[in-house]
Amino acid sequence: MQGFGRFLIYRLLRLMVALWCVVTVVFVVMRLSGDPVPLMLPPDAPIAEMERLRHEMGLDRPIYVQYGVFVNQAVQGDFGRSINFRTSAMRVVWERIPATLELAFASFVCAIVVAIPAGVLSAIRRGSTYDNIVMGVALVGQAAPTFYIGIMLILVCSLWLNLFPTSGRGEWRHLVLPAVTLGAFAMASIARITRSAVLEILQADYIRTARAKGLPEFWTLAKHTMRNAAIPIVTIVGLQLGNLLGGAVVTETIFSWPGIGRLAIQSIYNRDYPIVQSCVFITAAMFVILNLLVDVAYGILDPRIRR
Amino acid sequence: MEDSGTKRDGTTVDGLVRMLRDGRISRRGFLAGAAGIVGSMAAAEGILARVAGAQGAKKTLVVGQSADVSKLDPQLSTTVNDIAVTFNIFDNLLSRHRDGKLYPSLATEWKLVNPTLWQFKLRQGVKFHNGDRLTSADVKFTFERSYDPNAKVITKTILNTIERIDTPDPYTVNLITKKPDPLMPARVAYYAGQIMPKAYFQKVGDDEFNAKPVGSGPLKLASWVRDDRMVLDAIKDYWGGKIEVDQIVFRPLPELAPRIAALLKGEVDLITKIPPDQVDQVAKNPTTKIEGVLYGGLYCMSVASQKPPLDSKPFRQALSLAIDRELILKELWRGQGAVPNSLVVKGDSHYDPSLPPLKYDPDKAKQLLKEANYKGEELTLETPIGTLVMDKEMSEVLTSMWKDVGINAKLEQLEYSVYQQKIREKSFKGLRWTDPTSAYNDPDGMMWRHLAQGGVNAYWFRNPRFDELGEAARYSVDEKFRGEAYREMARIELEFLPLIPVIQPMELYGLQKYVDWKPYANQMMEFRRFNLKLTRA
Repeated sequence: MQGFGRFLIYRLLRLMVALWCVVTVVFVVMRLSGDPVPLMLPPDAPIAEMERLRHEMGLDRPIYVQYGVFVNQAVQGDFGRSINFRTSAMRVVWERIPATLELAFASFVCAIVVAIPAGVLSAIRRGSTYDNIVMGVALVGQAAPTFYIGIMLILVCSLWLNLFPTSGRGEWRHLVLPAVTLGAFAMASIARITRSAVLEILQADYIRTARAKGLPEFWTLAKHTMRNAAIPIVTIVGLQLGNLLGGAVVTETIFSWPGIGRLAIQSIYNRDYPIVQSCVFITAAMFVILNLLVDVAYGILDPRIRR
Repeated sequence: MEDSGTKRDGTTVDGLVRMLRDGRISRRGFLAGAAGIVGSMAAAEGILARVAGAQGAKKTLVVGQSADVSKLDPQLSTTVNDIAVTFNIFDNLLSRHRDGKLYPSLATEWKLVNPTLWQFKLRQGVKFHNGDRLTSADVKFTFERSYDPNAKVITKTILNTIERIDTPDPYTVNLITKKPDPLMPARVAYYAGQIMPKAYFQKVGDDEFNAKPVGSGPLKLASWVRDDRMVLDAIKDYWGGKIEVDQIVFRPLPELAPRIAALLKGEVDLITKIPPDQVDQVAKNPTTKIEGVLYGGLYCMSVASQKPPLDSKPFRQALSLAIDRELILKELWRGQGAVPNSLVVKGDSHYDPSLPPLKYDPDKAKQLLKEANYKGEELTLETPIGTLVMDKEMSEVLTSMWKDVGINAKLEQLEYSVYQQKIREKSFKGLRWTDPTSAYNDPDGMMWRHLAQGGVNAYWFRNPRFDELGEAARYSVDEKFRGEAYREMARIELEFLPLIPVIQPMELYGLQKYVDWKPYANQMMEFRRFNLKLTRA
């Protein structure tokens, strides 16, 4: 337990360092990308007006002063005032977190509920027609652009079959098409990794021993195979969940889903620094926390790691 | 033939019992009659329930736009998605209708008292959504804020012809202008003229007002989930009469395919920004239709005329002559638009219909290139994608047409924020798209606004006669003189071509067939009673 406690503290420290690095890089890169003031004023605004606005936003101070102010505020959860929305940037981002989490977790659940059993079955029936079909579909899922999958789902499932709404957020039916669209890549990746991991474990000596002992195949699979195959599966699942949280901008745009991804892209175009910084920080925080959970899961699944 | 007594008894259950007892009907006849009566009652009840349900249900109009609303303070934004909402939350003193004329709105009368004094009489009894009475003090506050150098607004150049505002009583507004301003009624009818409540604004401040605006218009903000939907409730006792629906919902649907799908499926009632190649899909659908209006502006090439080879007048003229506008209109726009004849927009005052459409003459273009001693220098057209409808396609076609006459034309795509920066710095390499809107239905609001000293597209174009005419026309109340001045200015512009007009496009909207609504050339979305009816129950 002591070892696990040290393990946890070490991971938490790494988490904070990772967050600080991400935020610093975003701060620097955003300021290198250009001046946001011209985007906020009409083209015929006088230079004096631009200078006044630049001063008001603190953009005329030396960059190290801007950084100092920024870090001081960030520690208090204040990423400044949105240039476009004229309110707290963090508040704008927080408003979108429920929608982002809803879509990400729905996609995630879709992905694992479909992919893990499919991958396991594929491994067990390696080389069969079923295996070929599943891996073929997985290949398409990984290769097809999200944009194409989304538009085709709207066409077929919404317009032709009238099963689901075309876009927007509302009741559970609004969630299905965006969740499948966003989860398609994750589904494909998890299925393929699951198949590979299970295949590898099934070749192991201890599995041969378990079978030789007369252990029923179900228990061989459930107790010995899956427990050992879980590490790579948990890794890919964790990575994919991170991608689902941060990489949904195309899905959000197609389905008019009010998530963080779309907000971040629009803010980049508008050079709304506070919003971009807030989005990146929130997304990075979710990502590193997920990685921490994955590390903790490793520790639970594999006692060797705890030691 | 039934006698009246039998007929009467057959319509009630008691009557049927009497008939059965009297032997006037058989048992089978009794049962059939009873079933008929009960069935009629059930049908009537169903109809009544549907009617009651329909009466109880809110009539809602759902509008799908290409982007979310960004600001609700009408002096902070004039983007098309924002004005669709703000012109309905707020009223102006005057209102420009679809026929292009100005009508009374918050002002019932207006007149030019002397060359520098416009007087407006306000409608009495108008209230803001919070119950405050609308008076001349609110008008004065709104207009003064619009050109206040310390205010963070973007409307400073619209009403800044005003020297001062007097309010002798709560329902009279006197606008004293620096010089005679014939366009003041047009100015107050558009951007910056949406009247805001002084007391509420001063109480809550800029940011809170932007988040929770209060106006006097037919709609008020009920709720707003950004990037999802904005719900506006109709004002029941609006001075102009409650609008046709109880609620309007604005939904941002940025992608075109889902936006059209939502319309076809009936999830939205009206969508904006339909490109010409999607018209058939909506028009041929049994439940939807297309409404279009000639845009109150032009798509033009803005010319960086200080940079060779664009510094040569014959070269610029060659560029214009090499453009087959009819072909662009026919093939890219499917005929949805018009070929301009000058920089004065069709529909504006002082538009000259006698001028022919801009010519396509590739042979003359080649001749002019020789005259310009063109040696094959590179000409670059820089453009973002998606800022204008069909900008990518038109850019490709234009560079191809220029290559056909021997111009070394090149197309470069820019990211939107870089494009904005270049507009500010005037640092384009050669050509870019611009879509000037005619703000006042008058050449002053477009041709002069863009090409006057310091104008948006003025760059290095200066012509003494053009400037002299523009200044004189701006401050003249003699419409005949103004007309002659603008005609001569249009001829000068076509000779020197600081802007090369390309096309006046149609702006296309998709609607459900039961929505009787017409779009406006100035991109306002008018939902007041005179422009919106639903033809379904």
